Amino acid sequence: MPRIPLLFFFISKLSGLHLFLGPATCFVFLFYFVPVALTALMSLTAMGRTLDWEFIGTENYVRLFSGADPLVLGIVRNTIVYVAGALPTTIGVGLLISLLSMRMRRTAGLLFRAIFFIPRAIPPVVWGYLWAWSFEGTRYGVFNSILVGLGFSPIHWLTRYPMLIVVLANGFLGVSLAMLVFTSAIAAVPVDYTRAAEVDGASFWQVCRYVIIPLLKWPIATMTIWHLMSFINSYVYVMLITGGGPYYATEVWSLYGYHAAFRDFQYGYGSSLVMILVAANAVLFFIAWKALGIRRLLAPTRVEV
Amino acid sequence: MRRLKGVPLYLVLGLVSAPFLVMYLAFFLQAFSEEISLGVIPRGIGISKNFGFLWKPIPWGLERTTIWEVLLNTLLFAGASGGTVTIICLLAGYALSRIDFRGKGFMLSLQLLLHAFPGHILLIAIFFLLFYLRLLYTIPGVAIARASIEIPLGIWMVKGFFDAVPSDVERSAMVDGCNRFQVWQKIFLPLLKPGMAAVFIWGFLFAWHEFIFVYTLLPGTVRLMSTLIEALVATEVMPPGLLAAVSLFYMLPPLTLFVFLQKALLKVPILGGKGM
Repeated sequence: MPRIPLLFFFISKLSGLHLFLGPATCFVFLFYFVPVALTALMSLTAMGRTLDWEFIGTENYVRLFSGADPLVLGIVRNTIVYVAGALPTTIGVGLLISLLSMRMRRTAGLLFRAIFFIPRAIPPVVWGYLWAWSFEGTRYGVFNSILVGLGFSPIHWLTRYPMLIVVLANGFLGVSLAMLVFTSAIAAVPVDYTRAAEVDGASFWQVCRYVIIPLLKWPIATMTIWHLMSFINSYVYVMLITGGGPYYATEVWSLYGYHAAFRDFQYGYGSSLVMILVAANAVLFFIAWKALGIRRLLAPTRVEV
Repeated sequence: MRRLKGVPLYLVLGLVSAPFLVMYLAFFLQAFSEEISLGVIPRGIGISKNFGFLWKPIPWGLERTTIWEVLLNTLLFAGASGGTVTIICLLAGYALSRIDFRGKGFMLSLQLLLHAFPGHILLIAIFFLLFYLRLLYTIPGVAIARASIEIPLGIWMVKGFFDAVPSDVERSAMVDGCNRFQVWQKIFLPLLKPGMAAVFIWGFLFAWHEFIFVYTLLPGTVRLMSTLIEALVATEVMPPGLLAAVSLFYMLPPLTLFVFLQKALLKVPILGGKGM
């Protein structure tokens, strides 16, 4: 039996559906499901520089939870401080900018929103470098050069306030998205509602507090959960700005996983750190799914009146 | 009195945005001057010094490289990644929009779930996967791995484009004897050219901006723009002028693309920003 007719037979059995969905399914399988399975397997090994599969059971997890690794406690604390700082920054400043800029003249509002959209439009390396350079400890850093020019001595920002700078750099990256989502949600609030409140003598603050913000309940909830998930997994900007330092002061969980694997070459231990993150993501996503429903997750700008 | 009412608004937003304006302005001016004092006051014109990398080699650790080699690598990487996203999403988006099959709702929900899942944390496993597939340290391998992060949302996006085409067009083609693939190729692809451009540029831009995949999976051997900037930051003696100039050069192609293709790009949902 020649091989070519057999091949044709198989191709004729394939329907259009296989042809259209096959590549995407293969991709998803290869780059999402296989890596998760690989991470789970690797977390049970003591894989090091030699890349040998040396299975050691749950030893990595024991090391993580028993306190055998003295850094873990500090890293958990850093992660909590980082998320607890960046999340309110994102939601609070995002809300502030969208509320104020929607109240302004159209062009002025657009201009302010453009300024805060820049972080998302420029490459991560440039955003990271911009922060590292602006807050450089010598007199050549942007803010230090202002201080020196005014007669103060330069401040070593990245050693004195490393966490604050990392939180702001990530928080304002979140602001750029939250601001856009809130702005389009505010635009969807019926004018009758705010007009009625204004006629009754409500101030701008009262209109925001009692009319607009309650209507933005779902966009705010979606953005909160969205950024919560994004912040617990984000490590690239921390790596670019402080590298986790000085001495692990800004090392967050996901960055520790990266460092364990690609700096210390403990691939097994790094995988167990990532597995914990994967589990945290699964739990958070489940909560989001139950609390918000798929429709609100997909269309965060919808205002339900 | 009416005019005065707006003043506090401008004041608050002005104060919040002031540090950022200083940072952006300092960065921009630094690219064209020798030194910056008092934050935003440039001193001396340093264009030929800062932009000298365009005709002179750039130090990379102990070695040297040229900007054109780095630019070509980045174009190849971003092009391969954007192309992969476009082809895969155009195929899958058609099926999810036009063909009825069991498990369609599940497929769509799965893509959303995967979009919410941060692909960047699986880097260790992707490193091994590429190692076993013998694709580690190669541009195509890493570009394909990078494309996988954008595919879930891309499928939703392209499905939206297909949904917008009236079904009469496709039905009449099928009555005339086209099969599914011919309908896709001869009817939909020509109709969806703006959509195709949008998906391609969207995938291209994310790959162009990508840092961590490139830094980890293509270290040193293949130089890209993002790793070039990181390498320049890592050398302590580097003058900030050169860095600002290289960064501007790096940001120029995406900005140009965006300005020229703004209309097509506006169809892209903003939730795509997931690089954090």
